[in-house]
Amino acid sequence: MNYFLFIIKSAAFDFSRNKGRTFLTSLGILIGVLSVVLLTAFGLGLKKYIADQFESLGTNLLRVLPGQPLRSGGFSGGPSSFGTIHFEEKDVVKLSRLRSLEVVVPVYYKSMDVVAGKNTEFATVYMTNSDVFKAINLNTEYGAPFTKQDVEKRSKVVVIGPKIAENLFADQKAAVDRSLKIEGQTFKVLGVLGAKGGGFGGPDLDSFIYMPYKTGYIFNTDKQFIILILKVKSDQSIETAKTEANDILLKRFKKDDFSIVEQGEILSAINSIFAVLNTVLIAIAAISLVVGGIGIMNIMYVTVTERIKEIGIRRALGARKKDILYQFLVESVILSLLGGLMGLLLAALIILFVQRFFPAYIDLQSIMLALGVSSAIGVIFGVFPAKKAADLAPIEAIRYE
Amino acid sequence: MLLQLSGIWKEYQIDEQVVFTALKDINLTIDEGEFTAIVGPSGSGKSTLMHLIGLLDHPSRGKIKIRNKDITILNDDEISTLRSEFVGFVFQSFNLINKLTVLENILIPTIYARKKLDYNPEEKAKYLIERFGLQGKENSYPNKISGGQQQRVAMARALIMDPKLILADEPTGNLDTKSGNEIMKLLKELNKTDRRTIVIVTHEADIATQTNRLIKMVDGQIVKI
Repeated sequence: MNYFLFIIKSAAFDFSRNKGRTFLTSLGILIGVLSVVLLTAFGLGLKKYIADQFESLGTNLLRVLPGQPLRSGGFSGGPSSFGTIHFEEKDVVKLSRLRSLEVVVPVYYKSMDVVAGKNTEFATVYMTNSDVFKAINLNTEYGAPFTKQDVEKRSKVVVIGPKIAENLFADQKAAVDRSLKIEGQTFKVLGVLGAKGGGFGGPDLDSFIYMPYKTGYIFNTDKQFIILILKVKSDQSIETAKTEANDILLKRFKKDDFSIVEQGEILSAINSIFAVLNTVLIAIAAISLVVGGIGIMNIMYVTVTERIKEIGIRRALGARKKDILYQFLVESVILSLLGGLMGLLLAALIILFVQRFFPAYIDLQSIMLALGVSSAIGVIFGVFPAKKAADLAPIEAIRYE
Repeated sequence: MLLQLSGIWKEYQIDEQVVFTALKDINLTIDEGEFTAIVGPSGSGKSTLMHLIGLLDHPSRGKIKIRNKDITILNDDEISTLRSEFVGFVFQSFNLINKLTVLENILIPTIYARKKLDYNPEEKAKYLIERFGLQGKENSYPNKISGGQQQRVAMARALIMDPKLILADEPTGNLDTKSGNEIMKLLKELNKTDRRTIVIVTHEADIATQTNRLIKMVDGQIVKI
């Protein structure tokens, strides 16, 4: 019979005789592994979710922002670092002349009360041009988007998100051609956009209202813009477009007064914040792994005491110290690994369920890590009890009753 | 000469002032093929002596030589190896591991064997099972068989590594007369036909008379060889 097979069989017997104790002991590791794997899976899911959201908001985009909000890879200084400069229509005109750019979208936004009949909603109104739909992948589900002419003629029209359409008019389709009031002014709903999702702490894109920017001058009396969105013709020309746009803006603004950020930079800035949060959460969850390890150590000490006689018999039959050490180490590793496997399995079941709502997933790395860490815990917390067993004097052990 | 003890003392420190002397200046030689009984009242040191011969314990002073090799200088691993290859134990309380089957119990010493065995351990175990009349019990657990059967399993286990020396500590102490006689018959047979050296520790005079040599101990000393 194989040496390790023999040891494992002997461990399995002890576990099956003490099913309740075995389960309770591995429960600590189970909970630890479960929480670490779940948090990792949610972290990965969140990353994917944000990336997908960005993808759905259009690709090859540059955003011109006032100030330096993304300096050194993170949001430095908070909202106050948004500078005080504003962009004007002449900036839009100048930037539009760049060959590398497909469209330039000026944005001014303001949150206001929107009224339709008896319903009132507090919503963000985006005042922008007709290219916004193309630039950030907005499609009307019902009706139509506003056009260049609507912008020029300052038509009192809006395109609204599906969620606010439902909230104001009870039905998305019925919202088309109806009118709503913003600060006493009446606007006609031209179209309702398809759902984008959002929420989860980010902006609720489905509740936005889009309005021709020239019409919006009613609310934006200084005729200024907060952000300029630039859609670049191809992803090869992103760097060129960035340099060219930068040169144009430098004629009017100081270097630190504005920044041009790529979609990817914003994504990585957001990701880095969530990564830190996620790491902190995982670290906290990992404490329960240590607690679980202590539970294993405790029960291994009990096991050693219960089996002093057996240890003595094995020593009398020729087992060396290290044979006894291995035996108890294997047992504590099995105990810990058992908890790790159960935790992983439970996490997989939960993730399978959660995936209906959220793209959380378990990657190979976290499986390896979960199993690696639980084996390591078995070794680390098993070695002291195992050492105690191995160091028992054979004669004392075999006499023990 | 198989085994030689010279000037062996075994002392236990009870507390700071009191030292208990279990063995006093023991000098003893056991030759190959002997069938020896160590007798004496309880507390006479006969079990301590057996533990020393069986390499389970080490003396406070003195030398133990096995085939002219001093073993008191060996480290724990070397002692364990020697224990595995040189001695087979039979205990009063059988000392079988209850969670392993009869066959697995018999095979335990081979699990820890460091030398390459020149026979198939399972085949040898099956041969011993048959020889000791344990057929059909291979897969039983020790607590499901009788005391006499358990002691025969223990004897099979003691023989699986083919040791030169069999040490039996009160082998019949926990058995009824009939089972005890059977065990003694097997031990005699092992000595006679297998030419194995056997040392029995017992307080039963009746058992002692069945051996070829009697070592009597009183108060940690050998009074009669």
